[in-house]
Amino acid sequence: MRLALAIALVLSGCSGEAPPSLGGNPENGKLLLRQFACGSCHSIPGVANASGNVGPPLAGVAKRVYLGGVLPNTPENMASFIREPHKADPRTAMPAMGVTEAHARDMVAYLYTLK
Amino acid sequence: MRCRFIIAGVGLAAVLGAGITVYAGWYDISATDQHLAPTYWLLDTGMRRSIKYRARGIAAPDLADPARIRDGAFLYRQHCLQCHGAPGVAPAPFALGMTPVPVPLVHTARSWTPAEMFWVVKEGIKMTGMPAWKYRLSDEHIWAVVAYLPAMAHMTPEQFARARVFPPQPASPEEAPSVEPSAKRGVEAINQYACVTCHEIPGIVGANAPVGPTLAGVASRVMLGGVLPNSPENMVRWLRTPPHFAPLTAMPDLGVTERDARDIAAYLATLK
Repeated sequence: MRLALAIALVLSGCSGEAPPSLGGNPENGKLLLRQFACGSCHSIPGVANASGNVGPPLAGVAKRVYLGGVLPNTPENMASFIREPHKADPRTAMPAMGVTEAHARDMVAYLYTLK
Repeated sequence: MRCRFIIAGVGLAAVLGAGITVYAGWYDISATDQHLAPTYWLLDTGMRRSIKYRARGIAAPDLADPARIRDGAFLYRQHCLQCHGAPGVAPAPFALGMTPVPVPLVHTARSWTPAEMFWVVKEGIKMTGMPAWKYRLSDEHIWAVVAYLPAMAHMTPEQFARARVFPPQPASPEEAPSVEPSAKRGVEAINQYACVTCHEIPGIVGANAPVGPTLAGVASRVMLGGVLPNSPENMVRWLRTPPHFAPLTAMPDLGVTERDARDIAAYLATLK
C-alpha cells in the first residue's frame, strides 16, 4: 500500500507547466556557462567538462526552492544571483564573474531546462 | 487444473484493480474518510501486536517515585495535552481533525503496561501522527510521562484543573558524546531531523524535495552552504547551527545535538 501511494505521489508531481522565462536563449546560455567556467565549481548536465564539486550540482536546479541557500528561486533572482552573488549573501564563496545582464538571461534560460 | 487458472485470474484481477484504484486517484486519502471497518481492524491489530513485541524486555524504573510523577505532570501539559486531552480537557482543535484521532490517555494508562507506553512515546507510531520523542526527550523524561499517566487516569476533571505543576530540574549541560559516530544511527537521525524533506539524500527514503541542494556527493564537495570549507569537523558545526555560519541561510537551526550531528555527518561522509 505504501509503495503504491509513494508511486502515486511521485507521479502526481509531474505536471507539464511551462517554465517561467526572461526570454533568454538556452543554447547560447549553455555555451556561456562553459565560457564563464561555471563547471569548474558546479556539475552541470549538458555542459562540457562541467563536473566541479565546489558548490552544489545544478542538476534539477530549475526545481530547487532556494538559490545559494538564501534566495527564493525565480528567473529574476537566479539572474541576479549569477551576476552578483554577494548581494544576496555577503558570505558566499561564489564569486562575481562579470556576467552581463544579457548573458545571465541566457544562462538562466538554460539552467531552467534542468528539471 | 481449471480451478488453478481461475484462482490465478482472480488474484491477478485483484492486484490490477488495486493498482488502478491507486493510480487513478480513486483511493480517498483524506483524513475525513475513515478506514473501512476491516482495514481499521487490520491496522489497529497490527499496531497492537507490534507494540507488544517491540516493548518486550524493557525494564521500568520506580514509577511510584513522587518526583518522577511531578516531572511527568509538567511534561504532559507541555507535550501531550494538545493532542490527547486530559480529564475534562478536550484536545486542541487541530488534533480533532487527525485520522486516527489521538486516543485519550486516561484509557491507555489502564490498558497498557509502562514498558509499552514507554516504547510508544519514545519510538512513535508511523502513519498515525504519533511522533517519536527519542530525539526530543531524555529516557528519564519519557519515564516521567509514563509514571504520570496512571496518576492522571485516576483524577477527576476538577483535580486535574486544580493541580499545580512545576518544571523539572533543568537538564544537565550536554556532555561531549563518548561513543564513536555511527553512520547507521545517522540514517535514523536524518529522518528524525527532517533533513530528507529538503534535500535529496541518496539511500534515504523520504520526500527528497529540492528545497536545498542534493547531498549526493556531499562528502567530496568543497564548500558547505556556499560559505564553510567542508571538513568532518565543519560538517558537524554546520549541521548544528547553519545560521551561525550563514546568517541569511534558509536552512534552520534544527536543535541537532552534538552526538546526532556526528552520526549524521558519519552517514553523509559515505556520500562520495
